[in-house]
Amino acid sequence: MEFRELLKASGPILLDGGMGTMLQARGLKLGEHPELAALEHPDWLLDIHRAYVEAGTQILCANTFGANREKLKRTGRTVEEVIPPSIAVARQAADGKALVALDLGPIGQLLEPTGSLDFETAVDIFAQQVRSAARAGVDLVKIETMTDLQECRAALLAVKENSDLPVIVSLTYEERGRTFLGHSPACAALTLEGMGADVIGINCSLGPREMPVLVEELTRWTTLPISVKPNAGLPDPGGAGYDITADEFAAAMADLTQLGVKLYGGCCGTTPEYIAKLKKALEDRVIRAVPRNIPAAVCSPARAVPVDRVRVIGERINPTGKKRMKQALLQDDVDFMLSQALEQVEAGADILDVNVGLPEIDEGAMMVKVVKALQGVTDVPLQLDSTRPEVLERALRVYCGKAIVNSVNGDEETLDAILPLVKKYGAAVVGLTLDKKGIPKTALERLDIARRILNRALNYGIRQEDVYIDCLTLTVSAEQEAACQTLEAVRRVKKELGLKTVLGVSNISFGLPARPLVNQNFLTMAMAMGLDLPIINPNLDAMMAAVRSYHLLMNIDREARDFIAAYANADVSTSITAGGKTLQSAAPAGERTLAQIVEAGLKGEAGPAARKLLETASPMEVVDGILIPALDRVGADFEAGRVFLPQLIQAAGAAQAAFEVIREQLSAQPGGQEMARGVVVVATVKGDIHDIGKNIVKVLLENYGYPVVDLGRDVEPAAVVEAVRKHAAPLVGLSALMTTTLGSMETTIRLLREEGLPCKVVVGGAVLTADYAKKIGADFYAKDAKESVDVARQVIG
Amino acid sequence: MTALTRLNTDEILRYMGCPPERADAGLRAQAEDCAGELLGVVRPRWRERTVELSFEAGGVRLENGLLLPGEDLKRHLAGCGRAAVFCATLGAETDALIRRAERLDMGRALALDCCASAAVEEICDRIEEELHSKFPGCSFPFRYSPGYGDLPLSVQGPLLDLLDAPRRVGLCASASHILTPRKSVTAILGVAQGEIAQQKRSCLGCPAQGSCQYRKAGGHCGIS
Repeated sequence: MEFRELLKASGPILLDGGMGTMLQARGLKLGEHPELAALEHPDWLLDIHRAYVEAGTQILCANTFGANREKLKRTGRTVEEVIPPSIAVARQAADGKALVALDLGPIGQLLEPTGSLDFETAVDIFAQQVRSAARAGVDLVKIETMTDLQECRAALLAVKENSDLPVIVSLTYEERGRTFLGHSPACAALTLEGMGADVIGINCSLGPREMPVLVEELTRWTTLPISVKPNAGLPDPGGAGYDITADEFAAAMADLTQLGVKLYGGCCGTTPEYIAKLKKALEDRVIRAVPRNIPAAVCSPARAVPVDRVRVIGERINPTGKKRMKQALLQDDVDFMLSQALEQVEAGADILDVNVGLPEIDEGAMMVKVVKALQGVTDVPLQLDSTRPEVLERALRVYCGKAIVNSVNGDEETLDAILPLVKKYGAAVVGLTLDKKGIPKTALERLDIARRILNRALNYGIRQEDVYIDCLTLTVSAEQEAACQTLEAVRRVKKELGLKTVLGVSNISFGLPARPLVNQNFLTMAMAMGLDLPIINPNLDAMMAAVRSYHLLMNIDREARDFIAAYANADVSTSITAGGKTLQSAAPAGERTLAQIVEAGLKGEAGPAARKLLETASPMEVVDGILIPALDRVGADFEAGRVFLPQLIQAAGAAQAAFEVIREQLSAQPGGQEMARGVVVVATVKGDIHDIGKNIVKVLLENYGYPVVDLGRDVEPAAVVEAVRKHAAPLVGLSALMTTTLGSMETTIRLLREEGLPCKVVVGGAVLTADYAKKIGADFYAKDAKESVDVARQVIG
Repeated sequence: MTALTRLNTDEILRYMGCPPERADAGLRAQAEDCAGELLGVVRPRWRERTVELSFEAGGVRLENGLLLPGEDLKRHLAGCGRAAVFCATLGAETDALIRRAERLDMGRALALDCCASAAVEEICDRIEEELHSKFPGCSFPFRYSPGYGDLPLSVQGPLLDLLDAPRRVGLCASASHILTPRKSVTAILGVAQGEIAQQKRSCLGCPAQGSCQYRKAGGHCGIS
């Protein structure tokens, strides 16, 4: 019987038990490679597999858990040498009585952002295994013992793109209900079901008694069959064994039928005896049909966000109408986008919209960079916003979790280009109620387009819950009758199609005075009509206040907890004053001068003080006359040992806040531009991922007014060359912390020289010395962050 | 092992590049505050395995066949018939906390990073204590990590494999032999029957030769 038929048939499916512990019991020595058992001990392997089949196993996992090219490196064998014979032994043992699965375990290196393995490399590593197994002939693939949802995604994509085999995906959790990386069963379920897994499971880590709470969480977030393959209890504190017997194991596992588990097996410490007893214990049990009502939801690897109340989508990462954001995109200043992101999350955004479309830049490459960087610092889910399908696909590939795609519309071409991507990567999608003819005037026509989008999405196999409709906000100053139509369309889409709704709110008030007043009231009216996902600037408290008030009044915010937490100590003014937070904080900064504020490192006071000074002085006067001399005094004290690194960084942070105000003012002026100074490119070299030192250097350089292009960590030599060329940078800063990566520092310098780029190179890092810097061809060695500023002054001025 | 509930503030300040006696109240408060925040997210996990040692021309060979090459470790383990190989990690969420802080406030990020270094060192001290009590009557040279002296970082991966660390505690080595999550340690603690000459931990074997931040502040890194 094929695997998918087996899944449809009633009754439990029996998997196998432990392999590593069985091989050791057979005599596998410490230091021998278990992956090579099919080559070195085929008779042992055959016996073990056979024992499982005799015990009742219906699906044998071939002994391929660690048979990936990275792990096999130390054995001198290739994937092609190991996988086919491993499958052949399993097939021989199965003898028609069991199916055979390719077992895919973790690669053994962590992916970005915790590790340095690139996502596409991971896909490629798994793809090689899948192709080899598909040629050898397997019935299904079991991806297991995963701790990283992103690695699961890589493996699952590799299976889908290289075969049509069914797939079980199983992660391993700690007792707190999370993987080692902090990923949750809810997020795994949402993400992997979306991407087309056939079964979701849990294996290893814990014993059967710890399974119920994890299984219950899975049943709340997936409609897929669930597989459970725990260890033989928890590790025995006294030794290397596990703490429960085969009888106890079988009894605890059989109870999981009550929770609707479909596939049963064992992991570390379990043996054919455990599986035989498990089979017996399951014989008189019926798998309970547990109802699964999965809400509309999106997620990152660590946070699931069900759309069960109003969820705010932060709109700030978008260059439209935002000079500073445009500038950041042109200068590859990803940090600026990250700070915008964190500010919005702090203010209460549940989801962040990400739009990096500018004609002058490579939108796809930037999207990948920003999505990866954002997922490294925040766990709110993202809404990927682009008009270009190829950009959306690149973003969806690297995004870990279930994203929202923004957007499709009623136009056939758009639907056919984008909906297949939404399906493949398991995202939710925003449908705009417009088509080739434009935005229809009436609510009824918009409802029609919404229905068309829904039907197409359903045809592509996308769940109804994953289609969100944007009924489109028009500017009320231009078309006053339009607001009512939008609100009516929201109401009808919600009621008649049962779909979640999205709306960009701020457009409504364009061209009017007192815009916040209009925006806030429109938002409130829209929520009352059924708006679920307002796209707003959460930094404006009036907007967040409307959302919090709505939750309070609709009895969603139980006992007013969120409302009270937000406003218990608030000073609420009911008069209308334009603007938000930044204006309120522009209060006079007491008696301290800007120079004193910088020297004391008072970040919060520096911005307002600079703003006040700019009323009477030019930006360059403030920079050259106050900020730089103040930083110099701190720098001199640092060199003399009177202040230390933390104070130096605090002073830099305060200066940065002042610079940010100056930069705003400059870019707001007509024809305004950045202070025209040479760019410094900084990078932590290939192979190295310790980057706090480089980041400190960056902050300092920026605070001396040098534009910095930060390439991040683990940077390819060619990427440094490309950035230096693109930005015509006169200075490059390279950092390495480990002795093992000094080689890539040397390679990078050599490549810069070979390409004939006229830049100077400064190097730094714990293991570097001036002599070594000279030896590898650097122009300068900086022993600390302060010295790198001195170098910049010498080179750039 | 008991849960980690506090960290040594002086140690944190030293890692931050500030001699503790010269830290002002603000800096001290920041170090303490960051220590509190860090302790809220660390998930210390560790593994240990005791192996027999044999000494040969190229270095020290562990029972599983792994050769730890070089002269320095060989000298260091002289007199030890066994060694406890261990690893410890604070977990990936510590890295994420520091990454996030770097985008918001670099001063705080530095303090958190240093708190994490102090925490992983504290965990190693406790592991060492536990191991000492596991081998009564034995003596122990100080714990030794890849990167010390001429012991190459390339042994990180094989040591983690010996401990089944990727699967058991989620600790891996990157292709360039860097431990991930970052705030992690692997170490070899020699076990000798009876007395051995005690050596002091020193910076002599370090390629930075005492020119690093820690030395300037009068301390040492303690970790590889």
